[in-house]
Amino acid sequence: MTEEQQKIVDFLKGKTGKTKFYFNDFLEVFPDKGPRDVKKVLTSMVNAEILEFWSSGSTTMYGLKGAGKQTHAEGED
Amino acid sequence: MAFISSGYNPEKPMENRITDIGPRKYDEFYPPFIAKNKGKWLYHEILEPGVLVHVAESGDKVYTVRCGAARLMSITHLREMCDIADKYCGGYLRFTTRNNIEFMTDKEDVLKALKADLASRKFSGGSFKFPIGGTGAGITNIVHTQGWVHCHTPATDASGPVKAVMDEMFADFQQMRLPAPVRISLACCINMCGAVHCSDIGLVGIHRKPPMVDHEWADRLCEIPLAVASCPTAAVRPTKVEYKGEKVNSIAIKNDRCMYCGNCYTMCPALPISDGQGDGMAIMVGGKVSNRISMPKFSKVVVAYIANDPPRWKKVTDVVKHIVEVYAANAKKYERLGEWAERIGWERFFSITGLKFTYHLIDDFREPAYYTWRQSTQFKF
Amino acid sequence: MAKHATPKLDQLESGPWPSFVSDIKQEAAYRAANPNKVEFQIPVDCPDDLLGVLELSYNERETHWKHGGIVGVFGYGGGVIGRYCDQPEKFPGVAHFHTVRVNQPAGKYYTTKFLRELCDLWDMRGSGLTNMHGSTGDIVLLGTQTPQLEELFFELTHKMGTDLGGSGSNLRTPAACLGQSRCEYACYDTQDMCYQLTMDYQDELHRPAFPYKFKFKFDGCPNGCVAAMARSDFAVVGTWKDDIRIDHAAVSAYVGGEFAPNAGAHSGRDWGKFDIQAEIVDRCPTQCMSWNGSKLSINNKECTRCMHCINAMPRALGIGNERGASILVGAKAPVLDGAQMGSLLVPFVEVSQPYDEIKEIIEKIWDWWMEDGKNRERLGETIRRLSFQRLLEVVGLEAQAVHVKEPRHNPYIFFNEDEVPGGWERDLEAYRSRHQR
Repeated sequence: MTEEQQKIVDFLKGKTGKTKFYFNDFLEVFPDKGPRDVKKVLTSMVNAEILEFWSSGSTTMYGLKGAGKQTHAEGED
Repeated sequence: MAFISSGYNPEKPMENRITDIGPRKYDEFYPPFIAKNKGKWLYHEILEPGVLVHVAESGDKVYTVRCGAARLMSITHLREMCDIADKYCGGYLRFTTRNNIEFMTDKEDVLKALKADLASRKFSGGSFKFPIGGTGAGITNIVHTQGWVHCHTPATDASGPVKAVMDEMFADFQQMRLPAPVRISLACCINMCGAVHCSDIGLVGIHRKPPMVDHEWADRLCEIPLAVASCPTAAVRPTKVEYKGEKVNSIAIKNDRCMYCGNCYTMCPALPISDGQGDGMAIMVGGKVSNRISMPKFSKVVVAYIANDPPRWKKVTDVVKHIVEVYAANAKKYERLGEWAERIGWERFFSITGLKFTYHLIDDFREPAYYTWRQSTQFKF
Repeated sequence: MAKHATPKLDQLESGPWPSFVSDIKQEAAYRAANPNKVEFQIPVDCPDDLLGVLELSYNERETHWKHGGIVGVFGYGGGVIGRYCDQPEKFPGVAHFHTVRVNQPAGKYYTTKFLRELCDLWDMRGSGLTNMHGSTGDIVLLGTQTPQLEELFFELTHKMGTDLGGSGSNLRTPAACLGQSRCEYACYDTQDMCYQLTMDYQDELHRPAFPYKFKFKFDGCPNGCVAAMARSDFAVVGTWKDDIRIDHAAVSAYVGGEFAPNAGAHSGRDWGKFDIQAEIVDRCPTQCMSWNGSKLSINNKECTRCMHCINAMPRALGIGNERGASILVGAKAPVLDGAQMGSLLVPFVEVSQPYDEIKEIIEKIWDWWMEDGKNRERLGETIRRLSFQRLLEVVGLEAQAVHVKEPRHNPYIFFNEDEVPGGWERDLEAYRSRHQR
């Protein structure tokens, strides 16, 4: 895992009660990076199966793979 | 049924993976006469309801037969369409933005046979498979959403009311007697995936009860902060409640702030919003998208609520039919429904249609509301 | 024999309009008979169960669907909408019933070959039920199970050369009117621009990183057949700068009754003889036309290109030759602050491949909105919150009178400090030398 990816993992693990975050929430992890560069880090983590998307249909969030409650409830793990 | 692999290897999702290729290019699907005359069209004419001719600089003529369809359609129906297109149209067809199907040919004799064939096909229950119409100053197909067929927050069905309304308005699908086109749309909740906010007549599902809170499941099914954040009016907040003698994390809803959008239910299945007694439809009128004569307009609510009445939503279809008839009898040629209502004044719209004006129809939602009140002594008694 | 009794839905089989109930029943019967020996990968009777659960909704007047967070296929953040039935024991065929959005070809022309391939694929791997098309424009494949998603995607990309559409906080599947392919009003090639931008922005379409959804729509003229101005965050609407073309002989033919006005759109009623003064000249919103009894004149400088006269006399009047588009931004449906119509940002831009000038505007807007937009805030709401002036600054455009319907109603103007001579830091002592305390 790169240093940048680790920062995101640390950020996610540091939050309690919530496992999914909007794209904008990750911008604060990298105050010096623009949105496009932050997106590249997130995309690399989705491709490496560290993160996964979650969608409400109208909006999309990122979370650590397997975290959260609903997939279990629907028997989709 | 044995699982049949496409070739995809779940162990190695990136192996042979093709991504980001986009749609097929549009011009692969052009019939030859379209490819040849693209950008060189002179004019068009509606020969009869549902039948258009487009004339190109080359002198070529293309005949189009427009047919209504339920946008919820089976592959059996699609294959039948393909058979027709293979037989008459060289293997090409297209769909319109409003869920109509268009069959095209450049031969007049084929046109005749095509029309006869399309008009003859019926479903087992007796409805037309390919009714011809939907052009000009009439009523074309309804743009709509999923409703009870597939959506989790609908306040009404979509396919059913659409079928009921189009049955009622069918004569106007197949004729062009109205002052201008009347575009009807339906959205099954106020999120309006169907964007009915600029339609001559918009049917919108509305909930009237805030969500219930399933305290037993809230913390087990949901990430409570996400439900809180999803609320556009800040009516959802986290709380602890006594449930069967235990303190549990749950959610509280400030009922008088709730706008019944269902966004929290999307995030949290422990906040069901659907309610058979509370749900129903509002009717909006007078919107339009086109810039013709007047600028585009939003639709306005003229009926605050009609209870759901499946399978045929008779009160809704009666109101729609009535509004169209009053409009047809009173508007000037070329005048859209909203332009007519503005010319005569909305107070006159209500008196002439007999629709009851109630306090629900005065806007009280945030800043734009003020601009809809009357800042003038000019009005009609 | 139907699996579930559906007396309410059966009432939607009568009447002239195509019945979706009859069609679903037809699909159920086809799957039960399976004449083509298809190895169905999801339950054979899912159309029956869909009718069953819908009948239940018709009785109870409540939906039986739940949302699921599934987004798509590996690496994609959109294209699939997760759906679960809340009565899975009664209706096991639709217990898991996810929607797949497939990116439609611009203009929605198809060959039967493509459609048949799609039908074959969906026959085996899905419910056999579709929406042609969804509200945003996608081909919607209605109902399949999670294990089929990757298989469908593999076959769509490998065999059919086509990709998924958008959902969630990404660029939604762009849509265009049929444009120049079959319309004399089209001021630019809507389908090409739609296709090109869809291709150029695949990453934005599949990997969501916006505050909310973002829609492009391309209308060829101000008639707006794909509702770009009403429905898209970024609307490109064809227009022209020079004069409406007039064929005076054809005008006379309309006046003389040889040609049906409005392309025959009003032929269902006797509206009387065509009256060019009343129907064209007097209806012109800018009053820029005149008719002297034999000749139609247009003061094109005053024309706002509403299309009425052209629509009404398509054989006599045509769009101008100096063509391009207007760009309007920020339209959306109601939630939250009410519906918004697109606001004019770029009055005129030439539209030609590779569309660099327009892409530059799009990317500036995205960079700004991604940085300053709040979560779940559509572009139009960000503009309202941070001002239209800010948008102009972001895009690098000068304010023009055409940007507004009327100037502001108040003098509460936020001046920039550098606009005011001497700035905001003032010399109090000098002031006091002129004014006592």
